[in-house]
Amino acid sequence: MEFTALFLAIAIAMLAAWRGPRQVAIGLFALILVACVATFLHHATDRLTLSF
Amino acid sequence: MTDTQAVTLNAVALYGLALLLAAAFAAQLLLHELPCPLCLLQRILFALLAIGPILNIRFGPRPSHYALSLLTAVLGASVSTRQVLLHILPGDAGYGSALLGYHYYTWALIGFIAAIVLLAAILLFDRQFDHRAAPGTSPGKFAQGAVWLVVGLTALNVLSTLLECGFAACADNPIVYELLKQAS
Repeated sequence: MEFTALFLAIAIAMLAAWRGPRQVAIGLFALILVACVATFLHHATDRLTLSF
Repeated sequence: MTDTQAVTLNAVALYGLALLLAAAFAAQLLLHELPCPLCLLQRILFALLAIGPILNIRFGPRPSHYALSLLTAVLGASVSTRQVLLHILPGDAGYGSALLGYHYYTWALIGFIAAIVLLAAILLFDRQFDHRAAPGTSPGKFAQGAVWLVVGLTALNVLSTLLECGFAACADNPIVYELLKQAS
């Protein structure tokens, strides 16, 4: 569900960048980037069995 | 490089992103392999890479627009590196089919690193930031086509992800379109 919302938010941000005010597009971009980081951290819980 | 040439280069970059999103779609539809959560996040970050070029085409090239794409590419490289590390141990077959010897997430890592290098390279050309040749003029058909193509592919991804995950959390190893399964 969160991925559908992220794709939708990006489509809206693209339209804002193309037709709307610049600040709105950049604000939306910032929100989406933070949401992507949060989604990544949520899905990065599997332990990596690596040793260096 | 003039601002007009930079805008054309940004449009070419958008066509490149569109090709990448279309290739991921083709793999999904032709090979019947549904993208995993981390694969979806990498697609999302490729789509997010397009915001910078769209702003450059509309408002003229600015360092801040390139910075948006650089931040996205760094996050994308982190996500794809994580997935490569998940499957790096000997004996692990990886997730999904390989294309030309590499899995999708490995190609994604190469793509994000290439984006970082290309963005750094294009930032070297200061003259593109001097002025806008003809302020207020609308971008040409080539650039408009690139923008609408990327917007269209992102909208198709909204639909595809909704079909795949439905209204719940996406499966770790998806094998069916959840929304279609619920409907049947």
